[in-house]
Amino acid sequence: MQRLGDFRLPPFFNYPPYFTLQPVRETREKQVQLWKDLILEYCRSQKIHTISLEEDFPLFSNPKIERSLSHEAKEVFLAALVSEGRAEWMDKGHKRCLILWLRIQDWANLIINFVKDNGLEVMTIEEIRSGIDTRGTELEGIERSVLMRALRQLEQKGKAAIFKGTSADDEGVKFSV
Amino acid sequence: MRRRPGIAGLQNAAATRDQFRLVGENVAKVRTDVMKEQLATFRSQLEEFARKHKSDIRKNPIFRQQFHEMCAKVGVDPLASNKGVWAELLGIGDFYYELGVQIVDICIATRSHNGGLIDLLDLRKLLCQKRKATLESLSEDDCLRAISKLKVLGSGFEVISVGRRKLVRSVPTELNKDHSGILALAQAEGYVTVEQVEKEFSWSTGRAIDALETLLKEGLAMIDDGHRDGKRRYWFPCVTVSSDTTGGEAK
Repeated sequence: MQRLGDFRLPPFFNYPPYFTLQPVRETREKQVQLWKDLILEYCRSQKIHTISLEEDFPLFSNPKIERSLSHEAKEVFLAALVSEGRAEWMDKGHKRCLILWLRIQDWANLIINFVKDNGLEVMTIEEIRSGIDTRGTELEGIERSVLMRALRQLEQKGKAAIFKGTSADDEGVKFSV
Repeated sequence: MRRRPGIAGLQNAAATRDQFRLVGENVAKVRTDVMKEQLATFRSQLEEFARKHKSDIRKNPIFRQQFHEMCAKVGVDPLASNKGVWAELLGIGDFYYELGVQIVDICIATRSHNGGLIDLLDLRKLLCQKRKATLESLSEDDCLRAISKLKVLGSGFEVISVGRRKLVRSVPTELNKDHSGILALAQAEGYVTVEQVEKEFSWSTGRAIDALETLLKEGLAMIDDGHRDGKRRYWFPCVTVSSDTTGGEAK
């Protein structure tokens, strides 16, 4: 089985026609589904939060079979993710895409559970993103904008309160579990 | 006085014919009885054999096939019914029933990829993966028998020969000669180009494209425009045997 780093690639990745947008509806639906799942899984395993359509993304080409996705194909697959809430365009020109391999709701739940399990009450934003407590968990390295949105969701539910410290670095959150 | 010649003779002849007929029927009956008895003996010996070798029959596909052939010779079909002596003896009905269900599962699961046509060897490999068994434990013959049982149920499953391979069809799509020809041609590399098809069959471009586009619409083909030579390729998943499977070598 082929790997991209330590990521195992699915069999369809080695089948050339999957790199060409299929014209027949049923076949296209299958193709889109496969690519959507692959993008999400890959990004989750590599903790990649954004994909830029103007840069090379290792998942979008397979040198072994000498095939690459066209720009149109990339857009189609990412747009499909966007329409099911698993991604968001970061710009009007659809050049950068935020990949939500966990939905904001899922991140919120993850954070609350983490906080409960570890008996934490107050954390700074930076601690959540890169502190000792979150090392090795999925929270490590979380995209700042994603984290803030998840926290705001928790705030709305009364489970957290975001506060600013003495400097921008001290932005933190108090959890009420 | 006029004698009616031969009436008695005729009556005699008739009576004699009748007698012969009765004798003939008796002989036939005796023969049939003897045959029935021989058959009954043979059948009970076959049952005895099956009982003794039940485990071999379950484990060994070659043995299994030979057993089937033996049964066929005496007009016994151990799969004819799921009830009765045979099914109870061997559970062999269960074996093929289970296989049939798994075959249906795999065909349905792969349909969106291959359009409802799957290479028999590919099917075997996927079955072995599913059953966590080696390729050697499940023969082509096993699959064909299970599929023929499916056919009897009216499920639309059929095995067709295309080129060098056997394909299992699980959709009602009929393939005409042009289509079969293209599928056979595609077996060499897994794909064809319009040019190759034209050349191979001496068709016009129109005819080649027509056939290819139909196969595309049926979901049996996928297009590939990514080759650096710029020529469109039509790939056929049903003639590409998956390489990512466990199991032995291709037969």
